Order: sequence, then C-alpha cells, then structure tokens
Amino acid sequence: MPVSRRTFLKFTAGAVSCSAFTGLGISLAPAMAQAEILKFQKTTITTTVCCYCAVGCGLLVHTADEGKGRSVNVEGDPDHPVNEGALCAKGAAMRQMAENKARPPKPMYRAAGAKEWKEVEWDWAYAEIAKRVKAERDASFTLKNSKGETVNRTETMVSLGSAALDNEECWSYQAIQRALGLVHIEHQARI
Amino acid sequence: MTNYWEDISNSDCVLMMGCNPAENHPISFKWVLRAKDKGATLIHVDPRFTRTTGHCQLSAHLRSGSDIAFIGGMINYILANKLFFADYMREYTNASFVVGSKFSFKDGLFSGFDAKKKVYDKSTWAFEMDANGVPVRDDSFKNPRCVLNLLQKHFERYTLDAVTAATGTSKEDLLAVYKAFASTGTAERSGTIMYAMGYTQKTVGVQNIRSMSIVQLLLGNIGVAGGGVNALRGESNVQGSTDQGLLANILPGYIDVPKSSFAKYEDWVKASTPVSKDPKSVNWWGNKPKYIASLLKSMYPEATLEEAFQMLPKVDAHRKMTDYFWLNIFERMHKGEMKGLFAWGMNPACGGANAQKNREAMGKLKWLVNVNLYENETSSFWKGPGMKPESIKTEVFFLPCAASYEKEGSVTNSSRVVQWRYRGPHPLNNVKPDGDIMLELFKEIRGMYEKDGGAYPDPIKALNIADWEEHNEYSPRKVARLLNGYFLKDVTINGTTYTKGQQVPSFAMLQADGSTTSGCWVLCGMQPAADKHLGMRRDKTATEMQANLSMTPNWAWAWPVNRRIIYNRASVDATGKPFAPQKAVIAWKDGKWVGDVVDGGGDPGTKHPFIMQTHGMGALFGPGREDGPFPEHYEPMESPLKKHGFSNQRVNPVAYLLPTEKLAIADAKFPHICTTYRVTEHWQTGLMTRRQEWLLEAEPEVFCEMNPALAKSIGINNGDRVLLSSPRGEVNAVAMVTERIQSFTIMGKEVHQIGLPWHYGWVTPNFGGDSANLLTSSVGEPNTGIPETKAFMANVRKA
Amino acid sequence: MGKMMFIDLTRCTACRGCQVACKQWKSLPGEATRNTGTHQNPPDLSFNTLKLVRFSEPKVDGKLHWLFFPDACRHCLEPPCMGQANLDDEGAVIQDEATGAVIFTDKIANADAEAVRTACPYDIPRPEKDGKMSSKCDFCIDRISNGMKPSCVHVCPTGCMNFGTEEEMRALAKTRLEEVKKHYPQATLGNDDVRVMYLFAVDPKNYSYNAVAEAAPTGPMTRREVFASLAGKPKA
Repeated sequence: MPVSRRTFLKFTAGAVSCSAFTGLGISLAPAMAQAEILKFQKTTITTTVCCYCAVGCGLLVHTADEGKGRSVNVEGDPDHPVNEGALCAKGAAMRQMAENKARPPKPMYRAAGAKEWKEVEWDWAYAEIAKRVKAERDASFTLKNSKGETVNRTETMVSLGSAALDNEECWSYQAIQRALGLVHIEHQARI
Repeated sequence: MTNYWEDISNSDCVLMMGCNPAENHPISFKWVLRAKDKGATLIHVDPRFTRTTGHCQLSAHLRSGSDIAFIGGMINYILANKLFFADYMREYTNASFVVGSKFSFKDGLFSGFDAKKKVYDKSTWAFEMDANGVPVRDDSFKNPRCVLNLLQKHFERYTLDAVTAATGTSKEDLLAVYKAFASTGTAERSGTIMYAMGYTQKTVGVQNIRSMSIVQLLLGNIGVAGGGVNALRGESNVQGSTDQGLLANILPGYIDVPKSSFAKYEDWVKASTPVSKDPKSVNWWGNKPKYIASLLKSMYPEATLEEAFQMLPKVDAHRKMTDYFWLNIFERMHKGEMKGLFAWGMNPACGGANAQKNREAMGKLKWLVNVNLYENETSSFWKGPGMKPESIKTEVFFLPCAASYEKEGSVTNSSRVVQWRYRGPHPLNNVKPDGDIMLELFKEIRGMYEKDGGAYPDPIKALNIADWEEHNEYSPRKVARLLNGYFLKDVTINGTTYTKGQQVPSFAMLQADGSTTSGCWVLCGMQPAADKHLGMRRDKTATEMQANLSMTPNWAWAWPVNRRIIYNRASVDATGKPFAPQKAVIAWKDGKWVGDVVDGGGDPGTKHPFIMQTHGMGALFGPGREDGPFPEHYEPMESPLKKHGFSNQRVNPVAYLLPTEKLAIADAKFPHICTTYRVTEHWQTGLMTRRQEWLLEAEPEVFCEMNPALAKSIGINNGDRVLLSSPRGEVNAVAMVTERIQSFTIMGKEVHQIGLPWHYGWVTPNFGGDSANLLTSSVGEPNTGIPETKAFMANVRKA
Repeated sequence: MGKMMFIDLTRCTACRGCQVACKQWKSLPGEATRNTGTHQNPPDLSFNTLKLVRFSEPKVDGKLHWLFFPDACRHCLEPPCMGQANLDDEGAVIQDEATGAVIFTDKIANADAEAVRTACPYDIPRPEKDGKMSSKCDFCIDRISNGMKPSCVHVCPTGCMNFGTEEEMRALAKTRLEEVKKHYPQATLGNDDVRVMYLFAVDPKNYSYNAVAEAAPTGPMTRREVFASLAGKPKA
C-alpha cells in the first residue's frame, strides 16, 4: 500500500496511521521501508563537520530536491572516526541552525541615531561600507610612528572574528585586513 | 592538542582540569570513557560537581583561580618522592641545563623585575652557555643552578598545608590525585591532561598550562600515546583561525608580526629566526626564513620580499604587545580612539569581559560592520538595555551570511586535523558565504583606490586575490591551493625539478628566496596536487600499530605533515625502541621509522625530540614567558584574600591591568567567588543556539548555581529570581540551589563559590537574561592578554 | 525475538543528544519552557517530547550523585496500553511483529487518553493539548525497519544507549551488570519484561519516579498509583 506524504507526517508526530495496517501483530517493515524512502526521496547526502566545538564531529546532511531544496535531516556520520555517528544536543540540533525563520534574508542598515533597522540591498551595503572604510583609512593612515619608524598602518579600525570561518576564509580575511593596514586584528582565541 | 581525540582512550590516567568535557566537548567523553573501560583512572578537578565529575573515580574540589597551587603541589610531590620518569627527564627535558647566575627568585618575584614598568628583564633568566654556544648541562644534577634543583627549590614551598590553604581542596583529595597521576611516571604508563578555558581565562593562564607541562615532562607523558597536553578548543575552527593568524601578534603559521624597529625585511627575518649551535637540535624554527618568504609571496606574488615586507603593517616595538590585544582595543574604543569595527562572526557585546564597557565603547564608533547568521547583541547594541538609540551615532551594517553547511571549505579540529566540509543546501534566502562577502567588499574598496587613489594604496592594489576567485566567485578550493603553496618558477631541489605552478609537496621544499608561495606553512603538504586535498580523505585503513592506538592517518590530514602525536620522538629511547611497546607511537624497525610520522626525521638518537624548542628539550624552565620561567601562585586579580600564603606578591606582577578598572579585593560588598561556564545545549554567547527551539527548551534562561547553605543564609529558594552583582554590572538569574557547589575554606576563611553560564543575551529570548560577562573584569594575562573571566568576585541577593 | 534497547545509565552524561535527536528525526516542535531551578527541561514528557532526560541529585550513603535518566516508552513485551486502548478501538495500538515495537496509530484518537496513560506502568503516553491524539516513542520504527538504529541510539556518544536483537541486548546487559557491580555494588537491572532495559548504578528510585514498575497491583490501585506511592519526590 502506498504511503502518502501526509501519512508520513503523521509518523513524525509520534503516532503511526493505521490505514496501512489491518490489525495486530502485523509486520510493519514493508510500509516503513516506503516511509523511509519517502523521507530520503530525492535527497542528496553531503558530509560536513560540526560548527560548534572543536572535537570536529562528522555529520550527514540530507538536502531535498536533489540538493536544490533545503536540508531535511542532519545526523551524525557513522563512518567518522571521532564521533562514530554520535552527536551532543547541539550537533543533533544543527538543522535548526540553518533552517530557521530568524535568519535575516537581506543586509540591514542602521543610520546614526536611528531606532530601527532598514533592509538594504547587498550592492548598496558594499558600496557604503567601502566608502567608510576608505575614508577612515585615508584619514588615519600612519606611515611613520612617533619614533620615525615606518609602520604603514591604521590604528583606528578594528577587526574581531572569526573562529567559525573556514580556514580559507580566515586566511583571506587576515590578508584583507593586513592589506588595509590594520594591526588590531583579534578573534575568539584571545578571549 | 599535542595528541588527538581518539588517543585519550590510550591513557592510564585522564586528568580533566579547567574543563568540563562531558558538557562542553561531549563527544570527547566517548574516548574518556573508553579509557576508563580499559582501566584508566579519571580525575576531575573543578570548583563544581559537573556532568563530568560523576564519571570520575577521583575528583577534587578546587577554588577558582588556585590551579598553580594545586599543580605546584603535584610537582613537589613528584620531585620529593622521585616519581618522575628519570631517563626521559634527563635526556629529553632541560632538567640538566644550568641557569645563569643572574637568575633569582624572592618573595614572589623573579629576577629582573622593573617595578615601574611592570616588566621583567628576561635576560636574567638565560641559560649558561659553553664556548660553542650550547647550553651547559649537568647530567649529575649536582649543580645547584641546574634546572632540576631550581625547580625543586621553587616548588618545595608547595606543601600540602600551603596548597590546601590556597585551593580549599582537602589534603586527602590532593594526595589521592597526586598519587594517581604521578603513577604515570613510568616508561609503560601515560597520563593526559585535558584543559580548556578554566586554565586560560586567568591572569596566570599561560603559567597554569606551563605548570601542567612541567608535570607532563617530569612524568615522561609528552609525545606518547595516551599522554600530552591537550587544549580542548571551543570553536569548530579556532585552531584554524589561529593557524591563519587572526591575531594581533601573529601572521599565518605562527610567524611574529613585524615590528617598527625592523627597517628591512632581513631585520625581521633575523630577529624571528632562532639559532642553535647544538648539532642534535633540529631547531625547526631555523626554517622560518622560508616560511616568511612563502607567506609574503602568497599575499604579494608580484612584489619583491622587501616590497612585500614594507606593505605589511607594523606594531610599535616600544609598546607592550598586550597594547594591541582585545582588552586594550576596547579600552581605546571606550575612549573614542577607534572609529570602525568589523565584528565578523563575533558577538563582543556578550562574549567579551566587562561587556557593558564593550557595549558603551561600540557607541563611540563611527561605524560597525557585523557579519552573522542572526541579529545579535552586537549588531543591535544601540537598542539594548539602557541605550538611547537617538544619541548613538554609530552607523551599523548587518550582513547575513551562509551557515556552515551551506558553503564549502575546511576546518581544523582540536587534534589539528583539517577536514573538508561540503555544501548541502544553497544559502537560505541567497545570503552569501563569508568568503564571497569579504571578497566582494574588498573588490569594492580596491575599485575606489584604483579610481580615486588614497593613502598608501600599494598593498590594496597588490593583494593577490586572483588566487581566490573562480568564475567571479570566492573559491575555497583555489584558496586551499594557496594555503598549501605552489612554485612560482621552476625549482630543482635535491635533483628533482618542480615546475612553475606545481603544488609544493611538503614544507621541507619551501624556499627562502621567494620562489614558492605558502599561505600557511603548517598546511603545506595538505594539498600536494591541485586537485588533491588530503582533508577530503575518508579512508580508515591503518597499520596494526596505528589501529592499536585508534589512529586513522588516512582520514583527512593533520598538520604538521600528517603527524598525529607531536613530539612523538620522545616516546622512544636513543635506539628507537618505544618506552611503552604495548602502545607504541613510533618505532625504528628494519632501518626505518614505522607508526606515526616521526618528529624530526633521521636515525634514532641523532636528534633531540622537542624540535620546536631552540635547544630541542622540553622546557621545565621556560625563560621566554613574560611572567617568569617557573609558574608561581598568585591570587586572581579579584579574590577574597588581601594576602596569600606563598609570598607578599598578591597578584601576577606583570598582569595586564588598567588603572581605571573597578576591582573587588577582599571586599565585603562582593563576598563570593564567581565563575562562568557553558552548558551542553548552548554555544558561546548563545547567538546561534538561543535561536533553536530544540536547544532553548532545554536551557531557556540564565541561572546561578549556589549551595544550599548560602541560599539559606540569604533567603533564597531553588527557582527564585536572584540578582548577581560585581563592580562592573548586574545580571538577573534563576537560582539553582544545589549540593553540587560547595563552599571553600581558604586561608582559614569560609568563602562561597557561585557561578553562571555566559550563553545569554537580551536580544532573545526576551526572558532569558543577559550576559554573564556584564560581571567579569577586563584584567588580562600578561603573555596572551586573555581576560580573567573564570575567577572574580560577586554578590548575589534575592531579586 | 524482536529488537531491544539497553540503556546503561552508568555511561550517561546527560548530553541530551538523544532528547534532541528524537525531535530532529521526527521534526517535533520545541516547547516554551522556563528554568525552574533544574536542568531537566522540558519539565516532563509531552505530546511533542517523546524522549526526556530526567535529572536528579540524591545523596546515596552520604555520597552525592548526579543521576540522569533518558526516559521514553519501554515497549513492553505485553503492553498494557494496547490492552487498554484497543478496548476503545481495535487498531489504536499495534505491536510490530518483526521488532516488537509498540506503536500508537491514528486510531489512538478514539481511545480514552487518560485511561491509556494510567494503564502504562511507566507513565509514558501523553495526550495532545487540544486534541484527541496521544503520543509516545515509536522505537523509530521507520529507521529500524530499514536497518538503521533509532535516532536516540545513533546519536549517543558514550555507549549509554544500545540497540540490537533481544539476545544481544540481554547478553550485553548481563555483562555490563557484572562489570559495573565492581564499582557500584548496588547496581541493578530494571524491568526485564520490556524492550527497553536499564542498568542502574544505584537504587532505581533515585533516578525517577517511573524508573521501574513494581509487580502488577493486586489491589484497587493502578500500577501508576503504586509507584507514585513508592517513589521519592524527583529533584533537580
């Protein structure tokens, strides 16, 4: 008997629809196998590593619509040598980190003295931030310090973060900040 | 970590101190319990009874901020009872080195102290050198100035009575822990130390770790399976972000930032590169010129090394490095000296010590850019508690970014294992991966400099972003190639010619003349071919010897050179025979090394094992730190005591301290010792986890743990609302009255310990309470500048 | 033979991976909770919380213990809930032949929810707040029918939660009891007429009011009333 998506949703609420079954003592395996297939149907599986502590547990991410949809299941990677499929509460909840209505869809800007955010476009945000960075850099740039030594830096801009970025991003990020002349580059490892 | 997570299971004794792995690194506990299954003794030393404690056969109740007294007592116990691993200590540590006659220690102060500047002249701690420039050794240990004798003299003051008075731990518990851990001071047995922020977030943080390193060196526990000094890192890539130099004092690969006193590239290279005259000392940092050159070439491939050096910003040589660190940045920001702030994936409004000061400081910026998954207390500081938005002029940009599994790239875990993460779904709402955000923003800035010119545009124009981009998008795979490094021209090394553009196979092939790139030399070898990133490997095959240690050398890749236990050369004797054959890490067999990738290479007995140390020896005496070559007990900056039992030097004399900082020292208004911590269900400031209902339902709001006697004395019942206060601020919390927290008797005086988690913030949930860091103080450790958020004084009363 | 779960409480760290993994697999909503002076949260099992780690901190022989009890349906070999619910509707509760899983169907809506809960020796089923359904753990029947472990077992880091054939689990329980007794002389296994068997380090009453079920009541009291009268008050 085919199991509809609606029926499957009932499984997830903790009570199984009995429409698939005729009575007591029946083996549920065939119907359940179909339910299983439904849950994972047309999903792609990718591996990831937990975004929280540095134990570095492996996870499997099931993404719907052959990778074009959203993640529908995230659980521990049983092949991973460190966690062997296990996760703590945070790792187990990882899907809610990504699939969350509270994630702002667009950049936001708060003007001086404003009481609220304003949604803005990416291009506008880049252009406005760039203007401010350049203005501050140009105003503060120091070629020589009080002792006359070459320093080629700006002291009035600060960067804090980020231990949650990937290695590649961290490296690019420090390169950008140093190219801008920042010396105040700090992150989570300092606290 | 010197070792790796699975290796904890190889230990005979697991000492967990300054950490709470069952709650904060829960999957590590898989391996901790496997050690226990195999017969290991588990020990937890902590102010609280936590989810870790119940699983340990031994536990000791320790006052926050008295770790050095505790471990100092262990060092004394080991030395007095001669429980060290004598061969290891003599051959592999600097125990026999003779310290110069200028060194002294009196009443809490080491020689060379400048009371006015609050710095030490470290030259007074130097070793005595022979005519060849090699440290003088006394293998008979008769010279009173040899390290072992100085160590013994220093720590013989750490008697059980003195330690008990400082720590509040009973003598019985002290002895039980000392005895259990010291039992690993034999060839066959090993003990490991797991630590986290309970060690580091103190004004003596580095010396806490030093003291445990001394124990491990005495017992022969470094470089061996089931041993090591293991920092449990708290962020998925805080190992990697540190490797990539996101700090004011280091560039990628732990290269010191250039100082203003270096006029030329060669000045910098010379000052950064240690020299050893001992033929057996590998002195790996002697290779630094190659790593510096390759780093500069990865940033500025078209520039000469001299030009690239000029383009790097310099810190002032005449200022303390801590001036550039976090606490001083916020001090200067608070004074209005900082104008722009990027808070990229970070929430300093909750995560930094003295959080109210940080929040006020941000109101003095011209602009703030916050990149994050969610709106948070930093992005929205201007509408937080007590803020008047109309009077705050700071412009704020919030840029939403992709989640960790909506992009690809690598992260490095605490075992130094670099693992590739793949993209699952595309970023929600078409927000962008951080890499794209930074690249697009940088291109915008660069465009303006190209069009309009501006102050010193050279480094902006010259920065090598061509190696970051593919199809106009940020390409982590391409950047990874650069982190590993490639040849900039054809180079012949030992008869093999590497062609221009080819990946550098290992950091041994990096060049000092600018013919190679390598963004981060420790990662060289991770991507030996353009399409081969070893962090992607999922192969669990291992030799029998490796499998015996639960080592999976073909799963992903560990820096350096896929070595899984660093300093592993210390696990074998001079003939290459493992000290502990039943859990051998490496062994010399049929003319070659087998097992893990050996440290240092060459035949057995030809190299000292501690290859990153200039003299090749484990540092019982550590003359490089700002606050002394030996650890010494000082009180936390805030404590219930005006005077402690070890000296008249109440606190670390060189700690980072601002004259303006309000402190509670033996102050009746703030009578309780307070500490902060985490719970399993939240992470760091809770910015991400407070948004997740599966986690929030389990730990919905800030609580304050206190013992029943204290609760009773101030009329508090379990579940009541309480108000915690310190000289910096107040936090409203739910009282959790529990026997798991007990009072201490310190120097004959009863004091209570209280504590609270620091995961909460006013943005969400609206009833959840605010950051514990509103209470903590911005005093810092002298080497690292890390704030002392794990030991401070507070009051608690009914709200 | 069917399947069985063995929960070795001497290995539980209350990481609550199981509590969350259950919700993740079933996409169950979180609950609006407050901290009431305990880490145990949500405070109780509910229609949307099928797995709950209970916390207690008793002193046993003068020594403080912090005990954790991952609570959920025991999948009784002869489930009283089935007997009760099926009085109202024959298909309300079924037992899977292959695994032994005890499963509420959507016909549970036709059963007297309070009576079903009362029938349970472990006080597990919970009614829907504004509806007629009841729910409880279904042994992850979809997963186990496809060769996967239940979510709570798959996620468990320490070897506290185990899953396998009845034979394997009973053997593991016996072995572990012997090992654990060396350190915890009071160690004991819980009820064995169930498919979720616990190993307790100390007297089960210290863990939770419903940790074990007493023998079937002979008097007018239901089983639930029996253990309510026997058990100490849960704390923290």
